[in-house]
Amino acid sequence: MQNRPTIVAVGRTKFGEHYGKKPEKLIEEAWLAASRECDIERRDLEACYLSDCFLPITNKLGLEEGFLSELTELHVPMEVTRSVNAALLAACNAIQAGIYNTVLVGGIEKMTDRWDKIRDDLMLLEDPWSYYAGGTPETNHELMLRAYIKKYGISGENLNTINVALAQISVKNHFNALKNEYAQFQRKITVDQVLNARKVAQKPLGLYDYAPISDGASALILTSEALAKKITDQPVYVLGYCSATDYLNFAARDDLTHFTATKTAMKNALKMAETPLLDIKVIETYDQSTVMEMVSLEDLGFCEPGTAWKSINESCQNCKGYYEVNGNQLFVNMNGGLKADGNPLGATGGAQIFEIFKQLRGEAGERQIEKDQVPQFGCALELEGFGTKAYVSILGRE
Amino acid sequence: MSSEPIERRVSYLGDRLKASRCQICGKEYFEVRDYCGSCGRKSFGKMGSIDLFYDKGKLELCTLVKEPTNKFMKLGSYVYGIVSFHNGKIRVPGRLTDQIVNDNETIDFPSLEGKDVIPRFRRRYSVGRSEVIPTISLAFTLADEYYPHQEYAVSQPGKEYDVPGIVGYGVYTSRFRIKEGNLERSVPFVDEDAVTAAVESGKLSLIHSGVGSSLVGKVYVGSESNPYAVKPISSKVAQVLKLGEEEDDVQGVDAVDTEFACKAASSMFKDAAALVNYSNSSVKYAMVIGADNSQAAPRGCPGGELDLFVGYGGSAFIFGKCDVIAEVEGWYSCTSDTPDFWRRDGESFPMHGGRFTGEPAYFKHVRMATTKLMGKLKLQANDIDYFVTHQPNPQFPVKIAKELGFKEEQYAPSLQINNFGNTYSGCSPIGLAAVLDIAKPDEHILITSYGSGAGSDAYLFRTTSQLVDKRRRQRMNVKFQAENPFVQYVDYTTYRRLKLGM
Repeated sequence: MQNRPTIVAVGRTKFGEHYGKKPEKLIEEAWLAASRECDIERRDLEACYLSDCFLPITNKLGLEEGFLSELTELHVPMEVTRSVNAALLAACNAIQAGIYNTVLVGGIEKMTDRWDKIRDDLMLLEDPWSYYAGGTPETNHELMLRAYIKKYGISGENLNTINVALAQISVKNHFNALKNEYAQFQRKITVDQVLNARKVAQKPLGLYDYAPISDGASALILTSEALAKKITDQPVYVLGYCSATDYLNFAARDDLTHFTATKTAMKNALKMAETPLLDIKVIETYDQSTVMEMVSLEDLGFCEPGTAWKSINESCQNCKGYYEVNGNQLFVNMNGGLKADGNPLGATGGAQIFEIFKQLRGEAGERQIEKDQVPQFGCALELEGFGTKAYVSILGRE
Repeated sequence: MSSEPIERRVSYLGDRLKASRCQICGKEYFEVRDYCGSCGRKSFGKMGSIDLFYDKGKLELCTLVKEPTNKFMKLGSYVYGIVSFHNGKIRVPGRLTDQIVNDNETIDFPSLEGKDVIPRFRRRYSVGRSEVIPTISLAFTLADEYYPHQEYAVSQPGKEYDVPGIVGYGVYTSRFRIKEGNLERSVPFVDEDAVTAAVESGKLSLIHSGVGSSLVGKVYVGSESNPYAVKPISSKVAQVLKLGEEEDDVQGVDAVDTEFACKAASSMFKDAAALVNYSNSSVKYAMVIGADNSQAAPRGCPGGELDLFVGYGGSAFIFGKCDVIAEVEGWYSCTSDTPDFWRRDGESFPMHGGRFTGEPAYFKHVRMATTKLMGKLKLQANDIDYFVTHQPNPQFPVKIAKELGFKEEQYAPSLQINNFGNTYSGCSPIGLAAVLDIAKPDEHILITSYGSGAGSDAYLFRTTSQLVDKRRRQRMNVKFQAENPFVQYVDYTTYRRLKLGM
């Protein structure tokens, strides 16, 4: 690929509840962290690609770009998307086209300000017909699990195994978040806790299967390949990026057990990156629920359809923080995933890129997957809605 | 939902579950579409419409919702899932309604999955008191429970009679009951109201009559519990049941609401009969609905004495001149300004005139209308096979029937107050339906309604041979609902909560 879009710095805030901070304060914090890392000034930015899923609804803000312009005295082009990976995709296209050399990509969400109405908002945006029929932000995940169990004929002892495997996903993500200073939950949980929460809920999934609502912001600085080499010794390239779209209404989709959009986006991103799948060692999945992480392993191609739960269960008997698939180690959600790191929708993708970036540079500290051998490729999967949109970004270093 | 156009669009698709089918590739969509996504441009003009209103679906997958979103809070816990139609060609989200899920109840999802379900027209969710009430049919009940699946087989108009009469009818009461002593009363589920009862009974009357809905030229809905002070129930009935010829989302039907306490519907029987009998009228059939979520203040409050007897339900009668099952032989109506029961605008519950409601109100008007009609038609009590009257409590109808010279076998079959309570506008018509359910051809039925305020309408019907022929078309008859094994009983607190609605 000519003129590879290159990430030179990343920054983020802690995810969780930021009761006292204004939304624009959060993005400022993330941007400043990134700019300090690469010594780029705001006047160097030629454009900003930002994201928020529903900040105007949750925080009654007008044009987010205007707030940022006021904050930075910047008057460059600014565009707002609904997820960081969508912003990154647009920014990559612009860099590749040679339109800009330095852009800011970032995201922000402040969901806790609207805690009393947030579930109605989330569901109405995710899938209106399901909302009208009485669906909640949890129901599609639970129905997908029911569909998965039926499609793959999982019964008897296997039913127990898949339930435990899903719990292990959550346990693993909480375990990883212990080493992440930015994570919303830095607290160890057990398989029993996850299973008990489901019993209390009397449903297939319980409290510990779902990502929380969060506040937070994230930012990264993207430059052209040539410029990056002047700024940093350790550039991280966006080698492949693609998105795909599926029906808004989950019930109407052909496949109720997988995300078709993820499969398509991953296939095209891999092709663009010219990277063999198995060279990707570290990935960030969009685990709004444990079910989403499980099926995403299959959708991304790491596991055969209908088998991820077995691999998860076998490799998580003693929580090691990674999965073993066909003898290969696969490090998933080293930052704790959406479950434990937090899920401020518009900023979440930035935290995913943050993690992959740090892992590829060997800067992930205690979370670093292999101390002696830094991984060369990583991949982030971000979804909008309930798999209505899927964004895959494949990152790599020299 | 704040946007009226959005509300209309969602209602238009959701109230009746409209879908489309590509005539090229056969792909189906839950929506009205101009073209097929798979076939593209060549499918323009080749999309057929599919109606799922009388269809039955299958519950494919389900889970439990214990913490609904804000607007669904009043439903409590409910089963929610994906329902498919036509072997999975169309899949829609939906919730099971008419089920009270208790806190510690465990739902066995696999045992529900695969069951047949029926789309039911209900309130969608709670909104503010000043807003339009949203409705939807993405609420389903299990087909093997209280409400069976019935086909709507339209038949072409056949034999024309000299006099107009009833050509079909439907009665709808809910699955829930409160039982106090010998008295059982129908209780709406929390997503039901007078509007949903009106639509349900209208739907059942179309099924029973076999009349094509496009031939219904007028619909009257009588009710005193319309959830709106201004906005008709009949417009919803016309749109959902597709009455009259449809063009550009508008129904070619005249729809109007009437109000006169418990005789709001019975009063219109003669208007419907006269309209279909008028030679220059293009109205082939007219539908008269009486539906109420009968209002009463809680016990112990002023007007709370009504709370002992109020029920919930609706009745619908289709009048016409073809394939008549009961001819209208005559009528007599009377009115006086007797305020024995009233509700001022803005008040939630009606007031009741106590002992004043008996002799000077109910008995006086029922007696006068009945005797006048019998005198006019030169009939004695023993010329009549069945006597039906309004049933505000179990005692009044028996007392007046005896006074008028009717024997128990003449009036007892119509007494439904002990099964469903006083369903206000639907009350005496449900009694008439109970009699039509069992009557033989060529029998005389005298019905005298009563509406507070006050007035009575007396009618004499003579049954025809088609009464028996049409009976097999309707499983949801009065007895079926009264003796249904899936009836669920609720306590007083639940009854008040359900009655209050969403």
